[in-house]
Amino acid sequence: MVDTAGSRVQGWRRYAALAFIGAWLGVQLAVPLVQKLGVDPFAPRYRYARYSWAMFSRPVPRFEVSIFRTRGAGEREPVPGIERYVRGYRSPAPMPMIAIYSSDEEVLDRFTRLVSTLARERHDGYAYVASIRWTAKHSGASDSVEIRADAAP
Amino acid sequence: MPRPRLTAPERFWSGWFDVVPAYRLATLRVLLAVITLVFHVPKFNRMIADYTASSFHVPPAFSWIPVLSPAGGMALMLAQDVAAWGLLLGWAPRLCAWLLAGAGFYVMSLDPEFFAHNAHFHLTLLALIGCSADRVSLRRLLAEDDAGSRCPAWPERLVGIQLAIVFFYAAVDKILSPYWGLSGASLAAQHLSTRGPAFDRLQRMNEAALPVLAGALSVVTIVLEGFVAAAFLIRALRPIGIVVTALFVLYLEFVLKPGAFAWDVLAALLVFVPAGDRAWQVAYDPACRTCRGNRALLSPLDWLRRLRWTPMEDATSSAARGELELVSPWGRVRSGFDALRVLPIALPGPFLLALIVARFGGGFLAARGYGAWDDLPFLMLLGWLTLWVPGLARVLGQPIYTTVSRAWDNWATAARPGGGADGSVRCSHTRGIRVGDASA
Repeated sequence: MVDTAGSRVQGWRRYAALAFIGAWLGVQLAVPLVQKLGVDPFAPRYRYARYSWAMFSRPVPRFEVSIFRTRGAGEREPVPGIERYVRGYRSPAPMPMIAIYSSDEEVLDRFTRLVSTLARERHDGYAYVASIRWTAKHSGASDSVEIRADAAP
Repeated sequence: MPRPRLTAPERFWSGWFDVVPAYRLATLRVLLAVITLVFHVPKFNRMIADYTASSFHVPPAFSWIPVLSPAGGMALMLAQDVAAWGLLLGWAPRLCAWLLAGAGFYVMSLDPEFFAHNAHFHLTLLALIGCSADRVSLRRLLAEDDAGSRCPAWPERLVGIQLAIVFFYAAVDKILSPYWGLSGASLAAQHLSTRGPAFDRLQRMNEAALPVLAGALSVVTIVLEGFVAAAFLIRALRPIGIVVTALFVLYLEFVLKPGAFAWDVLAALLVFVPAGDRAWQVAYDPACRTCRGNRALLSPLDWLRRLRWTPMEDATSSAARGELELVSPWGRVRSGFDALRVLPIALPGPFLLALIVARFGGGFLAARGYGAWDDLPFLMLLGWLTLWVPGLARVLGQPIYTTVSRAWDNWATAARPGGGADGSVRCSHTRGIRVGDASA
């Protein structure tokens, strides 16, 4: 026996479903397009973007980052309690990473914020450093970058 | 017998509010729930645990998103586990699906590093499953043999259109990306993920071929993705589109990059297959122990309600000899080994579930050093495809069918006390499934 009781979409439910379908399709069509090409229809400029179904769209950049602290021209020292700041991070040994869904700017921004946070919270006169070395598939200008934040004594 | 149309529902661009068999969405929900349980929930819970154990965070994608506290993280992890099980069992499935989708998008928004395309696609499908009003729980899917449950068509049409959107934008991206187009630089630079030893040679061959054929393969990929996107929307192209999509995502999974994307796509393809039509006929005699065994085994696997158990008198001589006999929707009679190997086509839901469990279960075991279990889904698929090689089928058919039928018969005997080995309720013909001609 076919059970259609309660399966029919009638009345306000029909309008609600129609509104949902329209909104869903609108979002699913517009968001990836805007993410890929920007909002200006007369000057579209392609870029890689998340939430735009850009699977495999670019080679995955790989890099190594070393996080350490140093005083003057001294040796690299480990950052005490780095695990407490970001679980899984270690110091000062280099950590291999991939920027599979991130841009160069996002990678640099992340580590700039991290060393700034370390310097701000520790007040020990050290310089906190994130040394990034791109190891594969990097299209940027430089193969290595060092980000430094000095902690107040 | 007239050839039935492969695709359903009947009218794609109209009749969004018609009622359709609920078993497609119920099967899709079960498969998505399993993928959620074995892959996404553990992954998201690990992200939440890492996030709440860290004191440093980058700003979330949206400034208004609340930062996750340790207590909130624990609650969210627990809620995800409960919701994934609820989705699988069909308990408040809409609420569970939306909760999982919402929680997943929230976690991905907390940190750009938590984003993944396969998770994005999975969560999108979960949100659409959250719109389904199929009301077919897992217990009902397995234990009952009804075929009358109906639900509105629009959620499964949105799933179909969503598939088209994903492949369309994937093709657009490859046209515009400087790493694709005619150069195929991205393909040439692909770093293939390693799998078990069965894949190794295949992957090495692929890795060697990619730089040489990068430009051509790039164009082929763009054309293929564009075709697939169109095929989901154009009825005449859909059957070939489904086959091409399945082959394409299996290539991605087994030879290029393993991930959850392929399995989600394969599960989503179920919205295009027929359901509730009882189009596959199986010869059945209630007095026959073997027939009852067949029914006891196959009925719980018939999630799309495609099997019709027809009286034995309508069956052919092979069924009368105790062989499993299937009559396809196109009227072709298959018996014995031939019927056995066609079962995954008639019962795609459980077959896909077995592959998914093998994929993630195998990956789990391999990651813990228990051997090359990564290869399990590949070997299962290869084993099934091997059964279709004409020459091999002639050689392998008899031993395979004998083994399976013996195990099947033993299972059937153990499963139902009424049909004991003493033949207390036995059919008029001989006990057990007889071996048919494999080359038939």
